[in-house]
Amino acid sequence: MKKVTVPEQSTVEKAVRHAAAIGVAVKESVYPLTATVQYPRQRKKMPDNFRGYILFDPEKCINCWECAFICPANAIRMKEAPNKKYYPTIDYGRCIFCHFCIDSCSGGALRATKIHDVAYKDMDEMLTLTEEMIEPPEIIREDKKLVEYQIDEKDLRLKKTREEDNLIVEKAPPPVEIQMVSQCIDRASCIGCHVCEHVCESGAISSSIANGVMRMKIDTDTCTGCGLCVKECSMQILTLVRK
Amino acid sequence: MKMVTESEWEVNVPDKQLKDKVYFENLKSVVIDTEMCSRCLTCAAICPGGITVVNNKVDFPDYETKCLDCGACVRVCPRFVYEPKSGLGDYIEFTAGRSKRFAGQDGAMVTEFIVSAMEMGLIDRGLFAGRDENWATEMFHVRDSEQLTITTLGGTKYTFADVLPELKKAVMFTKSGVGVIGTPCIVSGIRKLQQEFPIFREKVKLVVGLFCTENFHYDDISNFLKAKGVDFSKLVKTDITKGKFISTMTDGKVKFKVTEAEDIVASGCNVCTDFTAVESDASCGSVGSAKGFSTVVVRTEVAKKVIEFIRAKGHADFGDADPAQLDFLIGHKKKRAENIKR
Amino acid sequence: MEEVINELMGTIMSNQLNIPALQPVLDSVSQLPVVGLLISFILWKPVFALLICPGLSTVGILLLFFPWVERKLCGRIQWRVGPREIVPWLGGLIQLLADTLRFLFQEVIVHKDAHRPYFLQFAFLSFIAALLPLLFLNAGNVIAIETPYAIQAMLALVCLFPFFILGLGWASNSRFAYIGTVREAFMYFAYEISFIIAVIAMVVLYGTSNPLEMADKPWGLILNPIAAFTFFVGAAMATSRMPFEIAEADQEVAAGPHVEYSGIAFGLIYVMCYEKAYILAGLMTVLFLGGGSGPDIPGITPLLGNDLMGIVWFLIKTIIVLTTLFVLRTIYPRYRLDQGLNIGWGAMITLSLIALALSIVLVQGGIVL
Repeated sequence: MKKVTVPEQSTVEKAVRHAAAIGVAVKESVYPLTATVQYPRQRKKMPDNFRGYILFDPEKCINCWECAFICPANAIRMKEAPNKKYYPTIDYGRCIFCHFCIDSCSGGALRATKIHDVAYKDMDEMLTLTEEMIEPPEIIREDKKLVEYQIDEKDLRLKKTREEDNLIVEKAPPPVEIQMVSQCIDRASCIGCHVCEHVCESGAISSSIANGVMRMKIDTDTCTGCGLCVKECSMQILTLVRK
Repeated sequence: MKMVTESEWEVNVPDKQLKDKVYFENLKSVVIDTEMCSRCLTCAAICPGGITVVNNKVDFPDYETKCLDCGACVRVCPRFVYEPKSGLGDYIEFTAGRSKRFAGQDGAMVTEFIVSAMEMGLIDRGLFAGRDENWATEMFHVRDSEQLTITTLGGTKYTFADVLPELKKAVMFTKSGVGVIGTPCIVSGIRKLQQEFPIFREKVKLVVGLFCTENFHYDDISNFLKAKGVDFSKLVKTDITKGKFISTMTDGKVKFKVTEAEDIVASGCNVCTDFTAVESDASCGSVGSAKGFSTVVVRTEVAKKVIEFIRAKGHADFGDADPAQLDFLIGHKKKRAENIKR
Repeated sequence: MEEVINELMGTIMSNQLNIPALQPVLDSVSQLPVVGLLISFILWKPVFALLICPGLSTVGILLLFFPWVERKLCGRIQWRVGPREIVPWLGGLIQLLADTLRFLFQEVIVHKDAHRPYFLQFAFLSFIAALLPLLFLNAGNVIAIETPYAIQAMLALVCLFPFFILGLGWASNSRFAYIGTVREAFMYFAYEISFIIAVIAMVVLYGTSNPLEMADKPWGLILNPIAAFTFFVGAAMATSRMPFEIAEADQEVAAGPHVEYSGIAFGLIYVMCYEKAYILAGLMTVLFLGGGSGPDIPGITPLLGNDLMGIVWFLIKTIIVLTTLFVLRTIYPRYRLDQGLNIGWGAMITLSLIALALSIVLVQGGIVL
């Protein structure tokens, strides 16, 4: 166990440090760098990929229910619309603003905004219906100034401008996709049950028999990396690797 | 550890005798319908889904539509191409032992082997068969010697336990290795698995065999014993020694000659010639040593390391064992070769 | 009877505060019967010292606005904005007024185990006792009680502070108050001695303990900086400022002497700290910064007269000392109790003795003031 001791310093060093500390206090009292953002009169500028409230476009929804399945907080419920299609409703009491639903939306119907400060009168109001999700929620913009934090190596500066931050991001940054493919890690232990072949949705796994020898093949170009074959392999000898 | 990942590989497809039928039907016609099936359940272990025990018989309901025709069952069945083993087999050491810390059928050396292998770090789990209050078997993964306070894990059960399907599950879960205990048919099944599929070679590290003359299906033996007056709620131990089946209860014993139970012997046992489980890493049984001791036949280097560990730690007392005492039962089982129909 | 009144009037009229600018107004007002009497009474120097400056009014205004100054300034140094919500366009100036109102409306809870009379009395008594040294403090020419032993009297009264803290804690009759009080007492007693010796050093140096005479002499800060430093640290401790905020800090209140107080009693105790600070800052100004003396400003001095100029300079210097005392909290972290005591009984006594020795050497060496 190491004992923590006060570092040894000569008196001169100590005096210099005292003087430096007092100097900092004097400097800051004269020309301070106030880091306070006086919300709501000033608003901090959020980056474009800030995860805020979620907007919905019914035209693009393909009813795949992926958003409801993937929501980790179980905040999305699918409700039937008059045109017999199911559209998502979000319970903002549960929503953790992770934006998995937006990432998983196959049709691009869900999109993000930078709005984060909506107030509700009671818990029931937090259940946002589909109709309410099409337009951004109503917020009162009291801010007159926009505060931007500019950080360089040594210092933090606050740039205050008389602007209003646009809270609806029109163009989201494109997500980086990592392609995974399925591979066999123990060829000799394959029992040739063809379960992987049956389960593959994209037809990437195929088999052929020639001269009493059966050959299994995974086409890495067709493989989408969905992982179903990995789950279903009876000997558990398939795995997903990066392409 | 870098994995070798492959996009293409080959699978050995075994020959089919019935060319236009699925592999299970082949297995059925060769092994099951000819009453050679030992119910080792190796096929059930490897089958991707379907083979199970129905009415004390290995079967695959709806096999015509559901069998995936992979041929794995046929590859691993030890009796599909039957090469019967017999005799005492090769061994490095022939001794008798009595564990100082466990209680079992005789000297509890089987339990001692598995637990010592766990303590050595050779395996991280052992598969034991326990029994419920009706003396039906259920499989346990033992990962710590503390679990052996469940005393029903030790002691011979004289009925079938589903060791091999449990072994497949254990092999999927284990990190360092599995230790398994089985009768000679089970041991043969494991060796066939290891021959065909490398993953079993990697993960099944210790196979302990038991001396075995025959086994009984659960329904048959429990009805028989009940008819003889055995109360399962009071039953403590069952023993077959010197031709007598002895059931020890808390308030008395029921004894009868084993030959009385001839009719209910499982059909597959009639063609089994292996008494001492010659393919195991080590074999244990009661014959050949003094009362309270188990005979231990150490066959492979792995088992040798374990018994040296047991000796070094002083976990067991060792005594003399006489191979000559096994001759009668070895000969008795060898005679069953006549029952094999070709 | 008549002679007594005449004598009284004579004393009052002779010792008036002289403000040239207001003289015409005062001349006309003093003709009126009652108002004139009142005004000349107030302008009688001792009464002026007690009521206006450096007495109650100054204390009152300072208590009302100085915490705001402290919070805003400390916030500024610490990169934040101090109080600003009460009257935003004034920058939260009347924050203390709001606080006082709130304390007034809050219930003063006297818990069952407390010694009820002492509990309530000590709260008010300590406020009053803290004001006592003002009797001897001078702002320029204005002083309440003129005596050659003023400094010693002030010192004696300043050394009374700890007893009231102890009284507060003891009257609370609770475990946590007891612990906090004992810790506070430790700190006080550790620093009293060095504090007293520093003051004595200055008295020795100046050769007099009459604060009116000290004003014309060279500044003590230059003559005996060690004594100034020791006094400053002692003052920081006596007002429980950082780095010695050991028993009074926000995190430590739960184990401090004030823990059982609420409502106006707590409010009074809370501002007592600022009172003490003012008095000690005043003492420091008198001893080390030359009291009410200051250069003559061409336009203003003839207008205000010497007396008022003395007061103005005193106030300016006191406010500077107070600000320095309060800004200390932004620079230094809090000491642990044993570290603080170590310094008090160790370094501080050594330094104060050195200061005393320095004074003696200076006097002997021929610097006669």
